[in-house]
Amino acid sequence: MRKFLIKIIIRLIVLVLIFSLASYIHVGMNKAEAQTEDIIRVGLPVPETGGASRWGTFCLRGALLAEQQINNTGGVLGKKIKIIKSDSQGIPDEAVSAAQRMIHRDKVHLFIAAMNSSETKALQPIVEEAKIPMVAAASSDPEITYRAGVGGFKWTFRNYPTEEIRTLVLLEYTIKEKGFSKFSMLAVDNDFGRSAVTFTQKYLPRFPNARFASFNFFSLKEVDFRPVLSKIKAAGSEVICLYTNTTETMQVMGRQMRELGLAGKVRIMGLGDITHPENIKALQEVLEGAIEVTLWQLQWDHPRSRQFVEDYNKMFSEAPNVLAYSYWETTHLVAQAIKNAKSLKNEDIYKALKAIKYESVMGTIYFDDHNQSNMPMVLLEVVNGKPVIKGTFWSRPDYPTKTKQ
Amino acid sequence: MKLSQIFRSKTGNRHMQFKMGIISSMLFIASLLLLPLLGNKYHLHIAILSMIYIYPALGLNLIFGYTGMLSLAQGAFFGVGAYTTALLAIHYGWPFWLTFVSSGVFCAVISLLLAIPALRLRSYSFVMCTLGLVVIGEAVSKNWVSLTRGDMGISGVPRPVLSLWGPGFVVSQVVHYYYFVLMFAILGVFLFYWVVSSPAGRCMRAIRDEETLAESQGVYVWAYKLNIFALSAIYAGLGGSIYVLYMTIVSPLIFQMYHTLLFLIIVFAGGAGTVGGVVLGAFLFVAIPETLRITPDLRMIIYGLLFIFLAFRMPNGLGPFLVRIGESFFSSQPKR
Amino acid sequence: MNDLIIQQIANGIIIGFAYAMASVGLTMIFGVLRAINFAHGEYFMCGAFASWAVIHYFQLPYIISIPVSIIISAGIAVIISRIVMEPLVDAPFSTAVLATLGVYLILQNTTRLLFGGTYKFFSGGWLEMLTIMGVTIIEQRMVLIIITVAIFLFLEWMIRRTRIGKAMRAVAQNHEACIIVGINIELVTRFTFCLGVLLAALAGVLMSPIIVTIYPTMGEGMTFKAFAITVIGGMGNVRGTFLSAIFIGIVECFVAGFLGLQFREAVGFVALIIVLMWRPYGLFTLKGRF
Repeated sequence: MRKFLIKIIIRLIVLVLIFSLASYIHVGMNKAEAQTEDIIRVGLPVPETGGASRWGTFCLRGALLAEQQINNTGGVLGKKIKIIKSDSQGIPDEAVSAAQRMIHRDKVHLFIAAMNSSETKALQPIVEEAKIPMVAAASSDPEITYRAGVGGFKWTFRNYPTEEIRTLVLLEYTIKEKGFSKFSMLAVDNDFGRSAVTFTQKYLPRFPNARFASFNFFSLKEVDFRPVLSKIKAAGSEVICLYTNTTETMQVMGRQMRELGLAGKVRIMGLGDITHPENIKALQEVLEGAIEVTLWQLQWDHPRSRQFVEDYNKMFSEAPNVLAYSYWETTHLVAQAIKNAKSLKNEDIYKALKAIKYESVMGTIYFDDHNQSNMPMVLLEVVNGKPVIKGTFWSRPDYPTKTKQ
Repeated sequence: MKLSQIFRSKTGNRHMQFKMGIISSMLFIASLLLLPLLGNKYHLHIAILSMIYIYPALGLNLIFGYTGMLSLAQGAFFGVGAYTTALLAIHYGWPFWLTFVSSGVFCAVISLLLAIPALRLRSYSFVMCTLGLVVIGEAVSKNWVSLTRGDMGISGVPRPVLSLWGPGFVVSQVVHYYYFVLMFAILGVFLFYWVVSSPAGRCMRAIRDEETLAESQGVYVWAYKLNIFALSAIYAGLGGSIYVLYMTIVSPLIFQMYHTLLFLIIVFAGGAGTVGGVVLGAFLFVAIPETLRITPDLRMIIYGLLFIFLAFRMPNGLGPFLVRIGESFFSSQPKR
Repeated sequence: MNDLIIQQIANGIIIGFAYAMASVGLTMIFGVLRAINFAHGEYFMCGAFASWAVIHYFQLPYIISIPVSIIISAGIAVIISRIVMEPLVDAPFSTAVLATLGVYLILQNTTRLLFGGTYKFFSGGWLEMLTIMGVTIIEQRMVLIIITVAIFLFLEWMIRRTRIGKAMRAVAQNHEACIIVGINIELVTRFTFCLGVLLAALAGVLMSPIIVTIYPTMGEGMTFKAFAITVIGGMGNVRGTFLSAIFIGIVECFVAGFLGLQFREAVGFVALIIVLMWRPYGLFTLKGRF
């Protein structure tokens, strides 16, 4: 008899648990979040876990710092701004899930997204359908820009450079001004590296006496460059053209260049946070004379930039990188746009973005008819252990006559 | 009256099982049809993803749950199917049903080529070999740039157009996609059920339970394994096809461990060797990580703990577990 | 050209030693548990992070961080062994896959939670140059090679000569017979697992100065490489793992040097498939035990 009673009680408890779980889920599904208009919500689907997380976190932190700065100085239109982050794991379907959740549950006002080019491209139709502005602050595929604005997806904006002009400027300086002619290419095997190489190859015929001995691609996980460095050494190249996403590549490669005796004998030129002060400190002879085109530099001499580096260091106890800078600047840009719009309606924010002239630390930014911003860029050369500015210019995409696949 | 016995894989009261199975699947489909009225686009999107993932999960279920070989190649064929559809649709403008079928056919061909060396291996080496296929798939998609545009991926895949004649109806809104994918999902599940309840299905289970005995009874094991491998690849490829028709983009990221892990947990934790379990698993294990977004920092840790919990507590999967609970709940007899 | 070939072979051997140390744990764990440990690379990562944390937060020198990191990894290994690995003895195959995947997720994300997902610079290590037989390497690599050789000699001795080694071999062969003879399978499993994890962590600590930047997801690539290496060498076969690691290292460097560095990740598995077609039990195993 007792056993039977116990059984009944257990079953009742289980029933109650299941019922409460079900109702919790039901309520959770339909709960109208306290959608006060007092908070401006900015959606940020970034890879926090998964392979791309080592960069995604920088993006997130840049935005969070900007959020704090904006809220500390009174917010936007008297309201606080809130960054709503959601993990996309670096996978396009997760990015879409995160974005859909932010659109329909969190009711964000705009997006700053995303990191991988494929994530951004996956989001383009989503924000288009939902009519929410999205500013891409980190993806490198030029397709995003070709399809934005008049190209079709009018709600997509982009505040990150494409590789065309950067590669041309690099080639011009290194070949014409510095007189080098024997190159080897070492590019990271992703959307950024591949597109940079494509453009380099496109512009190469303009410099008939320059030759690339080989085009090498490395995966993001690569830690052993010895095989390809041996090959470059055997080919007798004068310059290694390095296209990479972040500082770490140079750290690893630099050490291995020392091992193979290439330090100081071969120059480095390229894109990718190469002339980061940490690198120069650790790899002085390797990076002497290195040439880089960058959209921002840690030691950039502008009060707001210095403040950014200082605040970032204080908040996260490590130095920012280009991605963190890009997201930080874009968050401020977006806040400025909302201020200009004087309203939180999507159409108004969109119009404000189209018309904005934003003072970034590198120069004035505005968006063209493809919603691509004109990126101010800097050409640097390392002279006696210090990066020296050798030129500034504006980066603009080279639009093809017809949108290609 | 027992609860849904569609989750049970053992033979039992077949007639009752069958009736119960029909009733519960009807109920389930009815609730799915009504979902757009209850939820918003976010929920629909989750459901669409679940229904897309049902395909590769069923493929894995077929090869592991019913035939006993653990193949991690589902992720590879998922990606191959997606790329096939994307390329055919963009370069040749084929309609969706043609690209859908072509994905399946192409995956079948590739899998047959790969199966010949792979099926000779014992279970552990087989697992590694199939895992290798995913890695190689990723390498090919990243480096055959002239075909796949490498890491930039393929975007702008045309939306599916439903037409018998004339201009037809373009599937572009999330709601339209929902019913579109639901149609495919129902088709896929019924096809699967038909295969596993046929005599061929019995042979597969025989191979899973006791391979040498099955061979001695006249089951031509080699041919079965080949066909099952191809069939599971076809399922994965078809899933990839629908995926790209929905997302309109595909890139080498599709070959990441994320999808392989997801298919594994759907099948293992949903109920390997059952139909309803895997279907339930698909919806559950896409919904659970989404729900976990309420704790964004602990999300993946809780997910991992869930894996471990399910591995030890419910080794047969959630489906059979729920059935056992349901049975012992409604019966007044002591548990067996 | 000959010079370049010799250089690539040297490169291959150098990196092969690192792979060997990182992979041997996987093969031992497999031999005893018959479980494919998807979390193996994460232990590699834990070793690296433990060492980095010691240097970064406590400002201790690198050489102290090695034993500290080993102790921390041992602690993690014992906990995971008790909760996850020992219950896997005699469990069906799928359980092991699910459980180790769970561990993989937990380890990776806990590290991310503790230290942040960004990459960290590893400042320790012996970074002076050293030239041996015409090949220049940093001292750290030499240390790695010497320690790897020592470890493998130790493992050889342990497996052939000591009681625990014999117990390991026994458990790898037949569980029922072990119970009859009186070998405590759980204890042997715990020991083997901890040893395997320690070796992976040690590999992590020793490789960190070479790879310079560490991040929570660095283990995944190592896991896959270790899978390929252990299967080619023969699962459960320690000598085989060593040889196949060197083999894979050399093949990778040749492919990287002459075909393209971007194919490096795929080399392991392509080699795996080719080897398995020819010898399904691995290159260095005489008969198939698994």
